[in-house]
Amino acid sequence: MASLAEKLLLHIADEGHHSSAKVTVVGTGQVGMAAAFSMMTQGIISELALVDMVESKLKGEMMDLQHGQAFLRTVKVVASTDYAVSKGSKICVVTAGARQNEGETRLQLVQKNVQIFKHIIPNLVKHSPNCILVIVSNPVDILTYIAWKLSGLPRNRVIGSGTMLDSSRFRFQISERLHIAPQSCHGYVIGEHGDSSVAVWSGVNVAGTRLRDILPNIGEKEDPENWEQIHKDVINGAYEIIKLKGYTSWAIGIMVSTLCNAILKNQRTVYALSTLATGYHGITDEVFLSLPVVVGENGITSIFNQMLSESEAAKVLASAKTLHEVIKGIQL
Amino acid sequence: MEATTLADQLLVRIAEEHDHASAKVTVVGVGQVGMAAAFALMTQGVVSELALVDVVADKLRGEMMDLQHGQAFLRTVKVVASTDYAVSKGSKICIVTAGARQKEGESRLELVQRNVEIFKFVIPNLMKYSPNCILVIVSNPVDVLTHVAWKLSGLPQNKVIGSGTMLDSSRFRFLISERLKIAPQSCHGYIIGEHGDSSVAIWSAVNVAGTRLQDICPQIGTSSDPENWEQIHKDVINSAYEIIKLKGYTSWAIGIMVSALCNAILKNQKFVYTLSTLAKDYHGIKEEVFLSLPVVVGENGVIAVFNQKLSEDELEKIKQSAKTLNGVISGVKM
Repeated sequence: MASLAEKLLLHIADEGHHSSAKVTVVGTGQVGMAAAFSMMTQGIISELALVDMVESKLKGEMMDLQHGQAFLRTVKVVASTDYAVSKGSKICVVTAGARQNEGETRLQLVQKNVQIFKHIIPNLVKHSPNCILVIVSNPVDILTYIAWKLSGLPRNRVIGSGTMLDSSRFRFQISERLHIAPQSCHGYVIGEHGDSSVAVWSGVNVAGTRLRDILPNIGEKEDPENWEQIHKDVINGAYEIIKLKGYTSWAIGIMVSTLCNAILKNQRTVYALSTLATGYHGITDEVFLSLPVVVGENGITSIFNQMLSESEAAKVLASAKTLHEVIKGIQL
Repeated sequence: MEATTLADQLLVRIAEEHDHASAKVTVVGVGQVGMAAAFALMTQGVVSELALVDVVADKLRGEMMDLQHGQAFLRTVKVVASTDYAVSKGSKICIVTAGARQKEGESRLELVQRNVEIFKFVIPNLMKYSPNCILVIVSNPVDVLTHVAWKLSGLPQNKVIGSGTMLDSSRFRFLISERLKIAPQSCHGYIIGEHGDSSVAIWSAVNVAGTRLQDICPQIGTSSDPENWEQIHKDVINSAYEIIKLKGYTSWAIGIMVSALCNAILKNQKFVYTLSTLAKDYHGIKEEVFLSLPVVVGENGVIAVFNQKLSEDELEKIKQSAKTLNGVISGVKM
């Protein structure tokens, strides 16, 4: 006997199963879920897959996202502890990873996360061999390098969130001082995502006018307006928010959504992202750190040969050496 | 001679910057629900200014900073936060998510009374700084608290809206869409009445492309329905409990729902949603109670109420809802 559904609709062609814009998020913690929610509310994907280790949390998050769908463009939401659910993803976002314990060295933290990535990365590539990997877990530059090694993917398809968020915080702080929109203040923070990131003051500009042309020692010790405080605030930004609310989520979530949109729509936008930096600014070691790059559906397709001052270039080189020291000590 | 700053040298000001926010929304309560709503309003570009109010200053500041740091990737939205309600001044909409949660062994009336005390502080403060705003109440039990907010605010009834069964209806449509394998947006259905265990699914109105499912399956939603469509309604009622069991709380769906409602108000969209409103004189209800009915919502709040045709059984259930709610409201000390 025909069901109501069968009486209501006359099927005339196969429903497709191909997802033209599928993104997988590994890790349903605060960062992963903010990224997932952002992608849903901004309507940039056609399918979202969530992967983590705790089934009940996964199912709860999936249902909570599904229940809002009448108010959004329909997005298929699936979730499982089994990576098969990620099959056919254009982008796989990795937010999973151990947090730093008290007294733990950076190398110890990295080694713990390497073990976690040894499970995650091959599983993602198995089900989506042509995907783009976006690594968010920290320490991001090192883990992006690890993901590149473990995945076997070409370097353009392994992207670390790097200093994309630092640059966004940087632009926000500059906009507060100038009383104009952040989108109209252009500036980059590059290098290692962390305490030794490099603010490229020589490039900061509004409407093509470099701030350095008006204030020659901007960002340096002698700067009477102490613009370098902005860079310090960017570095401390995350720590401060963690102290106040326990973790950060919204900004990184929007950032991931924006990056995925640039990839899916082949936008060719320029962002500071963690990529293989060998050959730039005198770097000879094999390391990943953030540089301004062009990103589209084939991942990172160009790297900007940014003009840096001598001191800026020296800082980036120092970053590269520090990162290389850590990478050398890793057992892959 | 006074040294000019870099900012002064860069930009030549020719007119006053205004501070007026044409689309300002305040969210009271920065818990999971409040922040999901705030984040949805930001990422969907619905507001021009967002104000967050709560009682814990640290958490407030952390949430504000976290939202601000994403702004280079969004349409610029001014985000402010304070424990002082002055920060909410000039809001078009004030969303209230704050409130006590039900304690073990606590009666519904005890919970309501606790929340009435909280609302006695929240509502007048919001009205002081945004006397022409629209109040959107999300805190539970939402129908009773919307009624309380209406009394405390002195606003006309069209400007006090409870989230009510807007989310229930969205869950209902999602579950129907799963069975029919079409988009939720194309499945139309309404859950009305009390937001909670005694909500009423109007099966006679469920339709796709104008075709009522009841015309194809006359016993749909009843106990003699061979396909047991009423299970969908039961699943809707249990959804929140189930998600709370699985992830500890619900946030995303209610966040999206609040954003969609605010968008409808700010853009004067005149969408039809099931929202908690003054229900006296509809469906034979004699009591002065708030419960959800399908309404038209725009920049002046609830501007019209649908006189839906209900079956005898549905009418009975609604009247029962109204009696229960009246019982609770009568026991409240304002």
